[in-house]
Amino acid sequence: MQLGKRPVWQTTLIYIGLILVCLFFLMPLLWILRTSLITKAEAYQIPPNFNVALTLENYIEVISDNGFGRYYLNSAIVALISTVLSVVLGAMSSYWLSRQPGNMTGAKLAILATQMIPPIVLVIPINTMIRSVGLNDTWMALVLAYLTFNLPYVIWMLLGFYDNVSKELDEASAIDGCSSLQTFFKVIFPLIAPGMMATAVYSFLVSWNEFVFALVLSGNATRTIPVAIAALETQNGVKIAELCASTILAILPIVLLSSFIKKYLVNGLTFGSIK
Amino acid sequence: MATVTLKGIKKIYPLSDDDKKKGKKGLFKKHEEEIEHEEKVNLQITDQGTVAVQEFNLDIADKEFIVLVGPSGCGKSTTLRMIAGLETISEGELYIDGQLVNNKPPKDRDIAMVFQNYALYPHMSVYDNLAFALKIRKTPKDIIDKKVRDAAEILGITEYLHRKPKALSGGQRQRVAIGRAIVREPQVFLMDEPLSNLDAKLRNQMRAEIIKLRQRIDTTFIYVTHDQTEAMTLGDRIVIMKDGFIQQIGTPYEVFHHPANLFVAGFIGTPQMNFFKTELAEENGQYYVPLFGVKFPMDAAHMEQIKEKGIKPQEITMGIRPEDVSICYEGGVEATVDVCEMMGSSLHIHTTIEDKEIVVIAQSKELPEDKQLGFAHGDKIRLHFDGHVLHLFGLDEKNLF
Ligand SMILES: Nc1ncnc2c1ncn2[C@@H]1O[C@H](COP(=O)(O)OP(=O)(O)OP(=O)(O)O)[C@@H](O)[C@H]1O
Ligand SMILES: [Mg+2]
Repeated sequence: MQLGKRPVWQTTLIYIGLILVCLFFLMPLLWILRTSLITKAEAYQIPPNFNVALTLENYIEVISDNGFGRYYLNSAIVALISTVLSVVLGAMSSYWLSRQPGNMTGAKLAILATQMIPPIVLVIPINTMIRSVGLNDTWMALVLAYLTFNLPYVIWMLLGFYDNVSKELDEASAIDGCSSLQTFFKVIFPLIAPGMMATAVYSFLVSWNEFVFALVLSGNATRTIPVAIAALETQNGVKIAELCASTILAILPIVLLSSFIKKYLVNGLTFGSIK
Repeated sequence: MATVTLKGIKKIYPLSDDDKKKGKKGLFKKHEEEIEHEEKVNLQITDQGTVAVQEFNLDIADKEFIVLVGPSGCGKSTTLRMIAGLETISEGELYIDGQLVNNKPPKDRDIAMVFQNYALYPHMSVYDNLAFALKIRKTPKDIIDKKVRDAAEILGITEYLHRKPKALSGGQRQRVAIGRAIVREPQVFLMDEPLSNLDAKLRNQMRAEIIKLRQRIDTTFIYVTHDQTEAMTLGDRIVIMKDGFIQQIGTPYEVFHHPANLFVAGFIGTPQMNFFKTELAEENGQYYVPLFGVKFPMDAAHMEQIKEKGIKPQEITMGIRPEDVSICYEGGVEATVDVCEMMGSSLHIHTTIEDKEIVVIAQSKELPEDKQLGFAHGDKIRLHFDGHVLHLFGLDEKNLF
């Protein structure tokens, strides 16, 4: 194929195609954005009226009346703690696992198996355990619950990265005078960091968006955003405008996070070591 | 700068999970299969696992250059890794500088190692790669800087100090790997096939540089290779291994001119030594080797040894190096040329005598002018060799002398 010699009409067609695809995915989001920015009365209007004034009243209401700040904090704390814990613990377990002499098929299979169980199956048993140790309605309950799927995920993902780092590097650094900890932090960690970043982002997203566990395990004090949004579907119908405003608020940090983290994600993909 | 002593070293790799699942029965079956295919590595498999190295006894003198050589899978790397502390020693004792180090971790053995795949730290610049070991040991910065620059100077990599390993060629990476070992000024320098990833020309060049390096940094070297040229040119002494056992320890001269057994005789030297099954016979007190209808008498020196050791006439394998066979114009044995390889200054002539192959090296300038470019297939030539160049091996494959 000749490079850079595509006729203009072809380029135009390609762009039109791309725009259509983007619109297809963006339409619902744009609609939510619109709905969040108009008055409640307008929001229920069918057919919709396009010539409306924009207002922030839904956002103000959601944040001040519904205690959204509180839910935000809950979500952030739970997602952050469970991500940090699972990445730190997972990074070490995974490193150990990848450096074992055998191929550890049993252990690896067990880790994969945890990902095969539908989370909803675990909700009731975990709920029972959490209550029996008196952790209900605490952040800790959610953090522990999220660890059950985040930790195996991190271990599994990082295994691939560790296997890419030649064991000769561990050996070279041992001969250079490092203890195991020094080897891990000075040699292996820097090489794994992009992979860890990518894995951490994913764990954070999953925890931030998690709904089923949060619904069962959180109480008034620890309610997270997904549960709070769901609560806007009341007996008196769906509070559509508030729902849209809170959805936008829930998405916002993730959008900001991903634009900040983009370069790490790309690094995570182009990662490689010197052979 | 230290002596290294290996006493009865043995390494058993535990069986892997897969092997265990197959059960002992399967293992023995596998073992038998391996015996059938003789070219396969023939390691001992016991209840405890695979025996990779055994009965390894070696005294390495201070500042000696020892080369471990042998075919793939014979246990060279395993031995080196046990010395480095990267592999546990199953049995035996390892002393470095007179100290028992069996249970010391690598960092306390004061050794440096160059790996086959370089094992450079990809996230560090060349400078940091070289400095890493010194930083870990909390050496003052100015000393580190001096040592790193000195090593870079020796190896000619000063201009790459700020590059990452990724941006270097294979030869340059190899230099960095060696540099990383040099800056440490270790007691023992270990190298595991450091040149095997380089192309032929670069390998020759680096080999010469290792010889030069050795004169400069004068320390104990243990070098692993499967390349006999490297072994012969680098080693003060060569340790030839096969299937986990030492076959012979000796200077390059000794292993070439007096191989301890058939394996060493065949392994050292290219083209390979020619072997013939024949016998050692006696007639009126004079010993000779009959071959192709000719009696090759033993020379006086050999006769003396035969008397001394009381060697009896017996079936033997006779070996003769291609360079010890000469082409003659009268007498000798008639041979038919199969293939003739022009190697530049010499010719490798593959011939047959009575269905037996024999390879001959001839210096082309010593041949008649019309033959200097080689012989044609089917040409007849006459071959001759003296009794004093013959290597005789008994039925146990050991050298008779
Ligand atoms: N981790 C291991 N587990 C089980 N067996 C092993 C292990 N490492 C090596 N071996 C076996 O021990 C034997 C010796 O291996 P080693 O690596 O020392 O050979 P080598 O002489 O270095 O060969 P090469 O020239 O191919 O590098 C081989 O047969 C190998 O299969
Ligand atoms: Mg090896």
